[in-house]
Amino acid sequence: MTGAQFLFYALGLATVMGGLGVVLSRNVVHSALALLLSLIAVAGIYVLLYAEFLALVQVLIYGGAIVILLLFVLMLTRSGESPLVLDNPQKPVALVVSLLFMAIAIVSFFLTRWKLAQAPRGVDFSVLGGSLFQDWVLPFEVASLVLLVALMGAIIIARESPQ
Amino acid sequence: MSVQLEHYLVLGAILFAIGFYGALSRRNAVAILMSIEIMFNAVNVTFVALSRYVTPTLLTGQVFAIFVITVAAGEAALGLAIIIGIYRSRATVHVDEMDLLKG
Amino acid sequence: MTFEDAYRLSPELILGFFAILIVLLDLGVRRKGWLAALTLVGLGASAAWTAVLTAGGWQGTALGDTLAVDNFSLFFKFLFLGAAALVVLASTGYSIRFARFQGEYYALVLTSAAGMMLMASGRELITLYISLELTSLSLYALAGFLKDPRSNEASLKYLLLGAISSAVLLYGMALLLGLTGETHLDAIANALGRMPGANYPVLFLGIIFIVTGFGFKIAAVPFQMWVPDVYEGSPTPVTAYLSVASKAAGFAITLRVFTLALGGPREAADWSLIFAILAVASMTLGNILAIPQANIKRMLGYSSIAQAGYLMVGLATLSDLGRSGIIFFLASYAFTNLGAFIAVIAISHRIDSDLISDYAGMAHRSPLLAGALTFCLISLVGIPPTAGFIAKVYLFNAAVQQGLAWLVIIAVVNSVISAYYYLGVVKAMFMGTPLSLERVTAVRPALAALAVATVGVLVVGILPEPLISIAQAVGRSLIP
Repeated sequence: MTGAQFLFYALGLATVMGGLGVVLSRNVVHSALALLLSLIAVAGIYVLLYAEFLALVQVLIYGGAIVILLLFVLMLTRSGESPLVLDNPQKPVALVVSLLFMAIAIVSFFLTRWKLAQAPRGVDFSVLGGSLFQDWVLPFEVASLVLLVALMGAIIIARESPQ
Repeated sequence: MSVQLEHYLVLGAILFAIGFYGALSRRNAVAILMSIEIMFNAVNVTFVALSRYVTPTLLTGQVFAIFVITVAAGEAALGLAIIIGIYRSRATVHVDEMDLLKG
Repeated sequence: MTFEDAYRLSPELILGFFAILIVLLDLGVRRKGWLAALTLVGLGASAAWTAVLTAGGWQGTALGDTLAVDNFSLFFKFLFLGAAALVVLASTGYSIRFARFQGEYYALVLTSAAGMMLMASGRELITLYISLELTSLSLYALAGFLKDPRSNEASLKYLLLGAISSAVLLYGMALLLGLTGETHLDAIANALGRMPGANYPVLFLGIIFIVTGFGFKIAAVPFQMWVPDVYEGSPTPVTAYLSVASKAAGFAITLRVFTLALGGPREAADWSLIFAILAVASMTLGNILAIPQANIKRMLGYSSIAQAGYLMVGLATLSDLGRSGIIFFLASYAFTNLGAFIAVIAISHRIDSDLISDYAGMAHRSPLLAGALTFCLISLVGIPPTAGFIAKVYLFNAAVQQGLAWLVIIAVVNSVISAYYYLGVVKAMFMGTPLSLERVTAVRPALAALAVATVGVLVVGILPEPLISIAQAVGRSLIP
């Protein structure tokens, strides 16, 4: 097994374990930490795929902002103190659908003849920057508006109204 | 390539299935949000892998992934703010206890 | 971005500018009525610019081929702007409840309108996705604006279910990207035409996922769980906005993606059948569950699920006539549903209740509002001389011409069933004993909006030809 293969399996395992931790753990704080593991492992996978910038963004935003925010909210809502989380009756249906999807998807992926392109060693990061500001300038500007809306919405809903 | 495209896609599919299961079966609203983040990550792994193997010079998948991360961050922030709002008035974060609307 | 590009994007840019302006002015302005007026100015300016673009007659793509400027997108821009304007007018009395966040309310209405306009104009997946999210996030926030427990709950349910469906949609888009290497809709269609048959399972999976993602937006069964709760808990003007504009935007994006990218015979046969099945499920479930509802907002929520079912019949037709039928139906539905909701906003605001039983005898207390509401409800059933009647006849005719008579029969039966709950409200208003004899009035802007909507329903019902030709031109422009 080559180095790249070993890394892929290790990181893949970490990601899946983290994911299982998020959905199966009874203590929600443990779930948050499992999420962190999963997200960092995904960043590693991006590095394997020669997407270094994306790996950086993943660690910074997901690991650095989102997980921290999640932990804060868990603390503020005292979720760590009631670790017994009994889950709801929708579980069997969700389980069946998930497993079914996984089976169908995996089989289909191997049956498909993908149009593989000749991949260079790694594409220069400036290509990504250039395309974001040229080809994808409209989504880029709209994304800034999306963040503004999320910000406004969060402040409005989370603020205490003077009673 | 020692690791083929299909392997990454399978990883993405597994993660997506795990996240989907979590989103539908967990009780704690924050845990549901976390499962949704897993789903978004699964999508992103799929995008980035496809970017590398199918459109390596255009990086389309990576661009898409960047936007997904952006939106996911915004949604998480808004969702958590709403959860705080609910906690403040009803002291719960469990979705089955949120039954004021006859759902 | 060149000046040319900015010019093509100007309707949306104007809305973005006004949204920010209003939020800033909210800091200083005392009388919030000015903010509402400014919002209307913004909407008007955007509409004026859209009209300039329409008159220019230029059709094509802009901004690196991501944005389409065609009759389809221009029509929907007018639809969203008009719906937003009516909602803003109708919110005038109601917005007191938003305390110091009134500026942000108007700003979010503007940003969601901008997002919807982009949803109808996008030509490739990334733009479509990000504009969908702009709209959705604005609406999640708007749903929670009352800041009472029910509004918060509505907002959370909307966001969680919306995020899940968004992730599912994305996965479908990723599969499309993987199979074709493209995100531009026409390029996808090209590549799919040359795709080997062994790849079809993944394509089918992608189609299912995209149907799921969009199905949530248009409130189709089985993705409709969020509707009753969100409609009930949100501020009523937001509910009105959701039921009309968001649904229309959902159909616009569905039409564009499925017709342009997935139009090949193999795929089209599959998804048209899927939509036909979803149509039956939505019509039936929506109508049956509307019957026992006591809360008028929930009832209208289930009603909109059923209406989405009728609209999906048009999706199943795969024909030009069917598509123009959808467009006509959406325009007629916009007038009708907005009219109904504006009346509901006015009445419920006065009597402080959303229960149908509290609407008893409303005809005596407010003949104007009750009359308008009755007329709009009749249009929802599909009885002449209303727009709703013409819309159903047109759409169902298109379906029959494509051999979908079985679907039409189910739709007609459903329309008859729906009369029971729509007319139930009418009956309560005219024959019930009023709880008090206090007159129910509404502020003038709301009455103006109600007048526009109701007159629209009547005019389209009597003189449908202009709208029909517009709908046909718009439908044709979808396939270049």
